[in-house]
Amino acid sequence: MMQTALHPPPHLRDALLEQVRVVGLGLRRPAQAAAVLAGLATLLVAIIDLGQGDVIDFHPEDWMLPGMVGLLLPIAVWTGEDRFGPGFLWTLPVDRRRHALARVVAGWAWLMGTVALFVLWLLVVSLVSGERILAEEALRVVPNWPFPGALDPATLRVVRRAPEPLFWLVPFTAATGTYLLASAVAVGVRHPLRWIVGTALVVGFLAAVVDIADASRLIRPLLDAVDSFLVGPYGLDTLLTARTETLKVDATLTTGETVIVWRGLPSVGQWAAATLLWTCAGLALVWAAASRHRERRRA
Amino acid sequence: MSRSTHADPAAGALAVATRGLTKRYGRETALDGVDLRVPKGAVYVLVGANGAGKSTLFKVLMNLERANDGTAEVFGMDTAARGPEVRAQVGYVPEHQHHRYGWMTSGRLLRHVAAYYPAWDAAYADHLGRALGLRLDRRVGAGSKGESRRLQLVMALAHRPPLLLLDEPTDGLDPVVRRRTLALLAEHLADTPTTVLMSTHQIYEMESLADHVGVLNEGRLAAQMPRDELQRTVRRYRVAVPDGWEAPPDLHVAGMRRSRGGRELQCTLVGEERDVTARLALAGAEVSEVTPLGLEDAALAFLPEEVSA
Repeated sequence: MMQTALHPPPHLRDALLEQVRVVGLGLRRPAQAAAVLAGLATLLVAIIDLGQGDVIDFHPEDWMLPGMVGLLLPIAVWTGEDRFGPGFLWTLPVDRRRHALARVVAGWAWLMGTVALFVLWLLVVSLVSGERILAEEALRVVPNWPFPGALDPATLRVVRRAPEPLFWLVPFTAATGTYLLASAVAVGVRHPLRWIVGTALVVGFLAAVVDIADASRLIRPLLDAVDSFLVGPYGLDTLLTARTETLKVDATLTTGETVIVWRGLPSVGQWAAATLLWTCAGLALVWAAASRHRERRRA
Repeated sequence: MSRSTHADPAAGALAVATRGLTKRYGRETALDGVDLRVPKGAVYVLVGANGAGKSTLFKVLMNLERANDGTAEVFGMDTAARGPEVRAQVGYVPEHQHHRYGWMTSGRLLRHVAAYYPAWDAAYADHLGRALGLRLDRRVGAGSKGESRRLQLVMALAHRPPLLLLDEPTDGLDPVVRRRTLALLAEHLADTPTTVLMSTHQIYEMESLADHVGVLNEGRLAAQMPRDELQRTVRRYRVAVPDGWEAPPDLHVAGMRRSRGGRELQCTLVGEERDVTARLALAGAEVSEVTPLGLEDAALAFLPEEVSA
């Protein structure tokens, strides 16, 4: 009888490193396009803002771009992979669920690198424009929100405070949260685009029906839930921008001047809690999605 | 079909063993209680028409598909319970190659695969690539079907796996490369202790390699035996028969052709020659000639297309 020396499967670490390399290679095209866009943005900033002597604030938490990149990246990471068939990825000698997770982690590693470059770019541009990144800022806070008509400047409270360096992590956590959610869809749903477009169509149709029937009162709880989901204290906006997007508003003063006012100040605790919540939800969903590809145990 | 639980005394000698393997796609039954037994070190050729279930069987062995019933083992490992370990032993060439890594060069794809197999032999991969005329700097997506097939063969062979699962390995290759591939396969078998389970429609190509043959027909394993036994027990008989003669029902008859007068017929019969001759004589037929068959004709005797009255 022939003696058979069995081969060991690879270490998960080796598979992960190879996924990092191969996902990186696959992202070359989008990376090149992003580099061109970054070059153009730098040029525009140099011509318009720096040319006029404007100072560019270093507030990475204000930018939704990293969250959007995190949302779109899974498409590039998983494009062309036969996830629900006997695809090449599944023929390799690695546990299928772990392999799917390794690819998600590989994409995330590149995402963090990209976000780091973005924050660095912003930092350099801000410093060149003369921004003192840790200097105290004066924020106009409106005590009562919403306010009717024009705002009396005397009612505004001015708060002086130094920027919170922890908020510089917001682009990283925002990108991580959206990347996990989008990865769960990309990994776990057979036809992600159909689901996204279908959901949008159904929501649009229902909204139109409610509007025509003037029945918004009937679905008020649902609208409130959607509102909380998007801009509530632990909503998507808190994850993406630590609520700077919704707390910071343009207001017209009684003097006729339009200024930026804050209807509340961003809270590190709230942002941290929202980030934890969304990240845990994202991780759970990614795990569930990857589990759809687990090894085929017997029926 | 119920799952067999009895211990198989020959299991240790088998590279691949399935018991009552059944796979259904909706109402279609792709595999129906298949009991495949591939001895270690064998070159086992699986024959069957398109849709007979050959590719499905390979996918179940790779744990790419879940069987509805039955068990499958590779070197004693349950393919469903130990998928990654099983796949580490296998060099797999699938029937269809939908390579989604078209943007990679062949060389980069080989490095990618190498990362997954600690036993990858880079020098051997180079040798195979050169022998098969592979252009490593060429994008995978820019290659022809034949180039893609050659690349897959290198990917399957270069880690010198204990088991090769080759699903139509020469499909899409031109005659020159086909011959070179078979020579490389023979060389590989001489150098590396390997079991081969392959499906092919070109059975004649495997005449010099095959030592076991299995015939899948509509998901069922119609026959499996060593090649010697197949060629010993499946022969063509020329027999003189009386008017209105019908073959005994217990005789496996294939490819029966009657002469114009109806007094003489030629058919392929399964069984030991002496036994078959005696049974024919008992049924009133007289054997005038017995001809041994080639591997292909012998295997095809088990497929219904060959049965004609």
